[in-house]
Amino acid sequence: MLFWIVAALLTLAASLAVMLPLSVKNRQADIARDHDIEVYRDQLGELDKDAARGLIGPAEAEEARAEIGRRILKLAGTKDGGGADRPARLPRVVGAAAVLAVPIVGWGLYAELGSPLLPGQPLNARLQADPAENTMEELVARAEAHLSSNPEDGRGWDVLAPIYLRTGRSEDSAAAYRNAIRLLGGSADRLAGLGEALSYGAGGVVTAEAQDAFKQALAAQPDHPKSRFYLASGLAQEGKLQEAAAAWQALLGGLPADSPWRGPVQEAITEANRRSAAVQKPAGPVPTQEEMDAAASMTADDRTAMIEQMVSGLDAKLRENPKDVEGWMRLVRSYVVLGKADQAREALGRGLAALDSGSEDGKRLTSLAASLGLASTE
Amino acid sequence: MIVETGHFALVLALALALVQSLVPLVGARTNDARLMATGGPVAVAGFALTGIAFAALVMAYVQSDFSVANVWENSHSAKPMLYKVTGTWGNHEGSMLLWVLILTFFGALVAVFGGNLPATLRANVLSVQGWIGAAFLLFVLTTSNPFIRLEPAPFEGRDLNPILQDVGLAIHPPLLYLGYVGFSVCFSFAVAALIDGRIDAAWARWVRPWTLAAWMFLTGGIAMGSYWAYYELGWGGFWFWDPVENASFMPWLAGTALLHSAIVMEKRSALKIWTILLAILTFSLSLLGTFLVRSGVLTSVHAFATDPTRGVFILAILVLFIGGSLALFALRAGSLTAGGLFHPISREGALVLNNLFLTTAAATVLVGTLYPLLVEAVTGDKISVGAPFFNLTFGPLMLPLLLLIPFGPLLAWKRGDVYAVAQRLMAAFGGALLAVLATLLLADGASVFAALGVGIGVWMILGALTDLVQKSALGTVPLAVAARRLAGLPRSVHGTALAHLGMGVTVLGIVATLAFEAEHITIMKPGESTAIAGRTLRFEGVSPVQGPNFTETRASFVLLGAGGGKLGEVTSAKRVYTARQMPTTEAGILTLGFSQLYVSLGDPTQDGGIVVRIWWKPLVTLIWLGGLVMMVAAAVSLTDRRLRVGAPARRAKAASSPAGAKA
Repeated sequence: MLFWIVAALLTLAASLAVMLPLSVKNRQADIARDHDIEVYRDQLGELDKDAARGLIGPAEAEEARAEIGRRILKLAGTKDGGGADRPARLPRVVGAAAVLAVPIVGWGLYAELGSPLLPGQPLNARLQADPAENTMEELVARAEAHLSSNPEDGRGWDVLAPIYLRTGRSEDSAAAYRNAIRLLGGSADRLAGLGEALSYGAGGVVTAEAQDAFKQALAAQPDHPKSRFYLASGLAQEGKLQEAAAAWQALLGGLPADSPWRGPVQEAITEANRRSAAVQKPAGPVPTQEEMDAAASMTADDRTAMIEQMVSGLDAKLRENPKDVEGWMRLVRSYVVLGKADQAREALGRGLAALDSGSEDGKRLTSLAASLGLASTE
Repeated sequence: MIVETGHFALVLALALALVQSLVPLVGARTNDARLMATGGPVAVAGFALTGIAFAALVMAYVQSDFSVANVWENSHSAKPMLYKVTGTWGNHEGSMLLWVLILTFFGALVAVFGGNLPATLRANVLSVQGWIGAAFLLFVLTTSNPFIRLEPAPFEGRDLNPILQDVGLAIHPPLLYLGYVGFSVCFSFAVAALIDGRIDAAWARWVRPWTLAAWMFLTGGIAMGSYWAYYELGWGGFWFWDPVENASFMPWLAGTALLHSAIVMEKRSALKIWTILLAILTFSLSLLGTFLVRSGVLTSVHAFATDPTRGVFILAILVLFIGGSLALFALRAGSLTAGGLFHPISREGALVLNNLFLTTAAATVLVGTLYPLLVEAVTGDKISVGAPFFNLTFGPLMLPLLLLIPFGPLLAWKRGDVYAVAQRLMAAFGGALLAVLATLLLADGASVFAALGVGIGVWMILGALTDLVQKSALGTVPLAVAARRLAGLPRSVHGTALAHLGMGVTVLGIVATLAFEAEHITIMKPGESTAIAGRTLRFEGVSPVQGPNFTETRASFVLLGAGGGKLGEVTSAKRVYTARQMPTTEAGILTLGFSQLYVSLGDPTQDGGIVVRIWWKPLVTLIWLGGLVMMVAAAVSLTDRRLRVGAPARRAKAASSPAGAKA
């Protein structure tokens, strides 16, 4: 509302600037010739002063005086410029149009360009506004502003870290968790939060770094459900579905009846079972129980030969059917376990080429490789 | 609300500019006093509204209101307050708003101080001023609107370009614009005279103070910009013949010519048509400069605006104003009466010679600046015309002009005597000769050219002083009388002498720096020392420093004299601005007398050393001090009572001034 009043006042002032001179009556145009004579009179005065000061000689002064005199005489010969009165209609029309033009152009253009309903938003006022009315983004900005001037406030970092994670800023979240851990000590929740943030940052893959964080969390609190859940997920991602399922099962057994983790854990177990059932049939190379038993009774050489045969079988399968991320992960891991780093690297390269390293699957493969200590050859 | 008020005020300013460009003009054509009288109040109101708009934008920057797109793009809440304010004009939109603000400011000045001008001249001038204002307001509102809003507003800005976060930049653009835009008044006067088909006697008297004021600001702006580039860019150069520098230098050269031809016109009613043409050309070069810098056709250190629609818009303004005014000139010049006659060897003759040299020099710079653009446009090749071209063309053109400067003020009007003047300059010539010999004998390895250069600088300084000595008759009359006469001289005489002296000081600084500069690039580790120009520089060590929005590695050095005494400390740094992750070099400068030691850091080496570039720049500060002296000279000259024009009605008794002048 205030804006409209101010805008109206400004328009009024601008219109008055046009209107007032037009409303003065009987204004007489002055004659340019008078101004010229005035200038020449000034010049004569200066000339006298210069001559008195001795800056120019008497002869030159006389000559200059004569020249200025000639200019004055010349003026006398000219006519007064355009004194004839024209019909007074044109000026009146132009004047009226000018007065009207100010509000019309002003409001018309502003309606096109302006955003009159948008209030100004000075940063300080926004940060000091009632927190209850703030959006999440504003709350985060307030916390950031606070922490940038008090970077040693561990509690602030602790509060901010999970918010970052929820809004998808996983890197900021991990940094905030690290600050909180540095300042307040590594509680199981903070360490697990760090692990979670790192996993989010890696596109959901529980990387070696994240696993470390979860393991530290478990050291602080052995029955910490989030850490146990994620570590099991890590196993599942590496293809150890049965181990993962077992870990989840153990977790489920220890959970109280009303724990919010029960649902996710049960889902995870179901999913793991479904996948291991799916994997066992088509992808033979995952050893069956009999094969494992057989391997246990073999000599070391035979066992190695058997494993190598299985691995090369998997390799061949992947050449025919390369869109299998689980398969590639297993293959790369196997080569690493067998100590064949070159082949592992080569398999990684092929896998990334087949899966497209930018895709979600590609990223999973890359982070697995990174956690195994294999640098991507790209 | 503040932001939108500013936006609305700017739109209203455009409406008023449109009124201003038509109504007084119609009034002047129909000889209607009331229509003509609207020009003044409208110009003042237009300035007030533009001022409100500018203040609103500054406020938005100060309050970090990121709902304004322009603030969000160019500011940051962690920036120091000073740079929040200066950030207002550190970007394209804001600087164009400043341009328009200064334009309307000059329009308001004409309205306020123009009460004693002939009414038709005043009305025409204000209308032309209105055309320029309307064109640029339209440009700002349609292509470079600083008041575009963002919803929802972001919470943090994207920071100002770190090289632009500097005190020099706080002052440089406003000064430069005051100069550029100040010439718009001369342009408006010229076009007004062409529209009227006559040149009033008051015309010449009025053009000179405006030219002086604009010239003063432009001189300051160029000197400031040069010093800024010198210490901020870390290359240790003071002039790069960069197109953006040339863009401000061309109007300066043309403006200097205009300043001198306006003297002839005022005193002798001669060179009228030429002065009008120069006034048009000077402002055209200012417009060209604005186009070059603002359209983004150049890629240089200054290029921070790129948008083709803007370029086309400014080009259209350029063509309209330059083409229109030149066409008008071609149409009307014939009907203007030519003025008084003079002998070739006279003050007028000397001023014509000065005009010839200066306009040729401006044309040379113009060719050197536009040729690469032309080649790029036609063939697509990117070539650069650098210092070698300008040294070969601009230098030889300036040399005779500089040599002749001391003669000009000593020559008489109409008919002069060169031999008499030469005789009076004998002392100055002797002094210059001594300077040449002293340079050859005392400075190690001084070339003949360097010595001659020093001689020219000294010649100009002494020549300027000779003028004052002659006019006060020092040496022929008692000292007290001479002092009284000196004080009683018209201020414009003092101004002339000071300006020429300032030019000499600048020349001396340039020659000394170019000829005797010592440069040394080496790798240093903490504790090591290196020799530079007979002095020793010791590297003390580096320390990390945390600034408000940057982190820097600061290296400290100690300069020791030839005898081992400590001359001073200097720190040089490499900075990283965190928001943009942009590194800058902060050169360390130690001023000793008029000379400076300049230390700039390069990259660190593997073994803990750091590349250090060291320059010893003798008398380098004289370059900018000379510019300062020229600014003071213009200010002194502006206070001359003779530059004010009396109005017919008020003229009844004007006998009060001589007594005042004596005091």
